[in-house]
Amino acid sequence: MLRLLAWRLLLIPPTVLGVVTILFLIFKAVPGDEATMVAGATATQAEIDVVRHQLGLDRPLLVQYASHVAGLLHGDLGYSSTFRGNPLPHILERAPATLLLTVSAIALTVLIGIPGGILAASFQHRWPDLAVSGGVVALLAVPNFWLGMMLIALLSVRLGWLPSLGLTGPASLLMPTLALAARLIALVARLMRGMVIEERHKDYVRTAYAKGLTVGRIMYRHVLRNALIPIVTVVGLQTGYLLGGSVVVERLFDWPGVGDLLLTAVGLRDYTLVQGITVLFVIGFLLINLVVEALYRLINPRLR
Amino acid sequence: MQRHDFPFRRRDILSTLAGAPLALLAAGTLRAHAQGTAASSLTYGQSTGVVTLDPAHGSYTLYPGGYEAGLCIYDGLLTFAPSMKVIPQLAQSWSMAADLRACTLKLRPGAHFHDGTPVDVAAVKFNIERLMDKQRNPTNRPLWDPVAGVDTPDATTVVIHLSQPFPQLPNSLAHASGALVSPAAVAKFGEAGIAKNPVGAGPYRVASFDPGQQLVLEAFDAYWGGKPKTARLTLKAITEPSTRVSALRTDAVQIIDSVPVALVAQLKQDSGVKIIAVPGLRPIGFVINLARPQLADVRVRRALNLAVPVETIASKVFFGYARAPDSPLAFNTEGYAPVSKLVYDPAKAKALLAEAGFGPAKPLELAMFFSQGLFPGDVSVGEVVANSLTQVGVKVAITKIEAGSYWDAMRQDRANLKWDIAMFGFNPANASGLYHLASLFQSNADDAARPDVWNLGRYRNPEVDRLLAAAGTEADRAQAAADLAKAQALIWNDAPYIWLQINENVTAVRKNVTGVEVWPSLFTNVRHAAV
Repeated sequence: MLRLLAWRLLLIPPTVLGVVTILFLIFKAVPGDEATMVAGATATQAEIDVVRHQLGLDRPLLVQYASHVAGLLHGDLGYSSTFRGNPLPHILERAPATLLLTVSAIALTVLIGIPGGILAASFQHRWPDLAVSGGVVALLAVPNFWLGMMLIALLSVRLGWLPSLGLTGPASLLMPTLALAARLIALVARLMRGMVIEERHKDYVRTAYAKGLTVGRIMYRHVLRNALIPIVTVVGLQTGYLLGGSVVVERLFDWPGVGDLLLTAVGLRDYTLVQGITVLFVIGFLLINLVVEALYRLINPRLR
Repeated sequence: MQRHDFPFRRRDILSTLAGAPLALLAAGTLRAHAQGTAASSLTYGQSTGVVTLDPAHGSYTLYPGGYEAGLCIYDGLLTFAPSMKVIPQLAQSWSMAADLRACTLKLRPGAHFHDGTPVDVAAVKFNIERLMDKQRNPTNRPLWDPVAGVDTPDATTVVIHLSQPFPQLPNSLAHASGALVSPAAVAKFGEAGIAKNPVGAGPYRVASFDPGQQLVLEAFDAYWGGKPKTARLTLKAITEPSTRVSALRTDAVQIIDSVPVALVAQLKQDSGVKIIAVPGLRPIGFVINLARPQLADVRVRRALNLAVPVETIASKVFFGYARAPDSPLAFNTEGYAPVSKLVYDPAKAKALLAEAGFGPAKPLELAMFFSQGLFPGDVSVGEVVANSLTQVGVKVAITKIEAGSYWDAMRQDRANLKWDIAMFGFNPANASGLYHLASLFQSNADDAARPDVWNLGRYRNPEVDRLLAAAGTEADRAQAAADLAKAQALIWNDAPYIWLQINENVTAVRKNVTGVEVWPSLFTNVRHAAV
């Protein structure tokens, strides 16, 4: 298993290089001249040309690409017009907040989604099931941005229970986490319900009942274990979606994370910053996939 | 970077992680987090973050947040009143020479920078020379290019020499980028270091600075104008408009800027909040490409103006937080003189178009460009205008352009201009009407090349050129103002634009907050803010 993980780890650098190359080409192709952006809207052509030379944008594309990649290897993302230099420290400074939000969203998903699914399956076609299934449909249908706005309007503005913005303490984590996790909670609850209903009628469960095991024990030791594999798959895959969702949710809650910075960078057309954050997101995504892969092998002996 | 510069500490995250489940139960008791600030502290939720704070080296960023922070940290020789009138600050008085080639300023005694060094003539000379220098100050060039040198004949007198008659120099000195930085601080932190370690002579000094997220200021006890009433002033970036509005309603912040006009009505119902709205300096319109033969006829251009319901745009698109212009200049620009009200008369527009030879058989065809997300409500306004023009028989082909590449499409040489009419607005940050008119309506040196400044439509009127030149050199300022008024009337009647609206800058504060100024030049000035 270790050999396989090492192999997967080795595949990360070439994947990242591929992404870097594609991003580089995309940002050379998009309309809007970088030198014009940096020089400002009122700059004369002569001033723009000076900036273009200073940024090395007048060099051949291949040379620019080589120096871009060489810079990345040294941790230099290039010249960010927002921060007037290498933006890497500013991105890394914000990474913990995004990580915190992502991790807490996954935690909330597990805490609500899995018990919710089991509950629904246990009371199939009765009111707890209908309540959970209705909640699933609602959470899947509602965009996280709108859910966040409604939470703020209710819990902050009307009731004054929770702070509406920023990372100021435990209470400030609740609404962004819920807004970010909503869709994933619904997916996991629905999947869990389906899995439990399916597994419940299998032979090994009947055997377990016949052995005289308690319902709780059957559920925990047998059914849950088998249901866990698809859950890990879904959560793992959807973590990438969480990174994307964090962009919107962070903006709405003024969360000091990387996603909010990405939106700012897009608004300011700071291409260097956009590229840098995208590359870091990709690296994060690949590492998450690696972790999922490892978890797979831990819970499913057949893959070991 | 010091530890407290981080947006949050590791400890915060750990305690947040540990406390999250608890908080689920105890959310109600944590209400204090959302509310409550000490009496003498204020937080301003800005639509843009503060990233750099040096008046030179690319000036303050982001715009306008960085400028607003600059107004709190720095003093200049002169400044603006909320009406955009130039008033004294570190200079007690000033006078322009009769030939407009020099300006003499008398320095206020007893002012100090935050580091304790005096604001003396040497410091002024150092700063003006720094602003003049194209290498050290590549932005805001129209404000500083005419400055040729600085003399300090005695301990309180500064003479600024100009390479050409430049009556707008006081406006440049009053502009936020004319601020004075401590020369000792420049020596200490280096030319590039001031941007993150600003030391000025303004009422607030920096307590902590986290670029892009939060700037905490504290009252400067030794400020020459007296210690400010607010002990602690925090400028916090809240980019999302609806988040700014909820933050204000929950009293997490006490001041917010750039309130979307669609949210004002909702905010007005909150009895704890008051709205401050001031018309800006930027008239928005569609610049008309005069290189097109069909648009060279002034009857056609007047018809286009008559066809657009400007009052409807102001009231329906901007909920009343915009007004139709009555001159090429906005109401609070220096030298503004009203010419005539815009009239909506589609029947007359049709008649004028018919006179010019356009009708159902041979409709006027126009390629219309507008931006997405560059000007306020640009897409809605563009669609209203296109629809109104269609109503009078004009065939309009719309091109929407993403904000990032809009300037490229606008500032082409004549052969590559793809638009007949294109949305544009100019904000004269120094509030000078002469600067505004000269930037937009002075003839280009070569109409076939890219425009020199912002004369995008290739407008050319020798009489306007003459009047603008006279207004720039005339020693008698009353005469200069009369010239400027005449130029406005000529331009207005030539209709080189489809004039549309002047948007209001909308700021909102908690009811008990006083002293917040909203400048027409887009800045919310919080240096006098108090509870």
